[in-house]
Amino acid sequence: MRKLYSLERVSWLFVLILAIVVPPILGGYLTSILILICIWSMMCISLNLIYGYTGQLSLGHSAFLALGAYSFGLVAVKLHIGFWPAFLAAAVITGLFGFLIGIPALKLRGHFFVLVTLGFAVTIGVIVLAWVDFTGGANGLAGIPRPDPIPLPWGVKFRFDSLLHMYYFVLLFLILTAGFCHRLVSSLLGKTFIAICHDENLTESLGVNTMSRKLLSFTISAMLAGVAGALYASYNAVISPEIAHFTRGTDVLAYLIVGGSATMTGPIVGTFVLVAIPEVLQVVPYLKTLINGVILMLFIVFLPSGIIGGFKTILPKLGGLRGRPRAGEHDIA
Amino acid sequence: MTLLEVSSLNKRFGGLMAVSDVNFSIQSGELLSIIGPNGAGKTTLFNLLTGIYRPTSGGIHFNGSDITGCKPYQAARYGIGRTFQRTTIFRKETVLDNLVIGQSLHMKTGVWGSVLKTSAARWEEQQIREKAREILSFVGLTGSEDKTAGNLTEEAQKRLSIAMVLVAKPKLLLLDEPTGGVNLEEIGGLIELVKKVQESGVTICLIEHKMRMVMSISDRIIVLNYGKKIAEGTPNEVASNGEVIKAYLGERRVA
Repeated sequence: MRKLYSLERVSWLFVLILAIVVPPILGGYLTSILILICIWSMMCISLNLIYGYTGQLSLGHSAFLALGAYSFGLVAVKLHIGFWPAFLAAAVITGLFGFLIGIPALKLRGHFFVLVTLGFAVTIGVIVLAWVDFTGGANGLAGIPRPDPIPLPWGVKFRFDSLLHMYYFVLLFLILTAGFCHRLVSSLLGKTFIAICHDENLTESLGVNTMSRKLLSFTISAMLAGVAGALYASYNAVISPEIAHFTRGTDVLAYLIVGGSATMTGPIVGTFVLVAIPEVLQVVPYLKTLINGVILMLFIVFLPSGIIGGFKTILPKLGGLRGRPRAGEHDIA
Repeated sequence: MTLLEVSSLNKRFGGLMAVSDVNFSIQSGELLSIIGPNGAGKTTLFNLLTGIYRPTSGGIHFNGSDITGCKPYQAARYGIGRTFQRTTIFRKETVLDNLVIGQSLHMKTGVWGSVLKTSAARWEEQQIREKAREILSFVGLTGSEDKTAGNLTEEAQKRLSIAMVLVAKPKLLLLDEPTGGVNLEEIGGLIELVKKVQESGVTICLIEHKMRMVMSISDRIIVLNYGKKIAEGTPNEVASNGEVIKAYLGERRVA
């Protein structure tokens, strides 16, 4: 049994309280950055599921983000069916794309899978830009709705017209996504994902249909990235082909590695650090990529298990702060 | 009762016949050993039985079903478990988790059950951990539940790799050199374990190089050389077979 009040749990509870209490006293600018951090964290968590835990490196997650954003935007703007039906449609459509791309792509292993997903990301990027009649092309797609007001008791409605409300909405989804992945990965099913990451052949020889497990993981991952995309579209109200650029996927991969892949909190920490640092330093946009690149290289060379992974190896050595030493990189916490 | 029936099995790699027209059967409950010089096609034969390779021609029937050309996970689901020559375990996971993963093919909990932690999911996890502990004491690794598998001794890793397959309750267990890379003093314990597994009702097919071990525990032996079966019979019959002696020691030169 794990200790209920481990240092880690307490510190994350503290972070959660901060995330709820602090934003009202921040200005609009910082709140908007926090919203983006939440959305990219969700995407990072989705990438963590397929790459960190299942071991299949996807560079195609920008495509799923864009598919989620555009299918949400198009359904909401052109069909006028309200926020939640459009949101659900976006998740289903993205999941379906993940499933269909996964079938041929996951038959390939290692670098070939990476290349197919990268190719898919580039293809979606081109389609979004070139199919002007449908997606609006370079002009983008405007008029995407915010969530419908949620009726509360006593006739009060929780509206989403302010930035702060939108922030709480996105934060809620981040918590749900993180909780979902945590439960999934720490379950028996999740253990087979991790087993595939360690040794796919051995896992298959133990009677696991590794192809269907990888496909399941990839589909869920795509769907979560799609949800992140739909949230982004709703928050921004306008989407442009920029979000479909494949560098969004590689940026998020950098967040994941810096935070610590195959850890539950790494994606959030990595996203926070890599998004916050350039903002604090107020650098010009194209320098952000450069800074991200340098930080990523430093991590790959000196701390490949990322910030959280590094903590997990250092903490037990500092006098057993965390109960018992845990095995392996695949810590579920 | 015949558990496994292999009929005129062939496997060609380009110009090389790795397995050539091999016929044999395994009876329920017996311990059959496959021996032969290096490169004789023993491991290839295992790979054919477990679906890692697809046979060029020939048939494999297991427990009444045709399993020729099935996928590795399907072979495991039919009830063929196997260990590998190079000890294969999940080195970074704990011993207990290795045995939990070993039971994957019996797991039923889906995505929603896992995420919502339904009572059925919790019950299944408890059952699986229970079974993992049982098998741990069967192979004599009680007390190492929480150790990282890669930190175990080579001998304990061999035990774990057998336990990991055994925990899924296979009907036929294929062991590829279970004593390879283990100290001479520790081999005895592993032989005991193999016997104990056989006594528990699991049919065993063994690839082994250590002749003394093979001769002492096998019910029957098959000898392969250059992909062909050159002899079959009880340990004594095989030991006195002229072909076998020729394959291992070369031909006597006539002066």
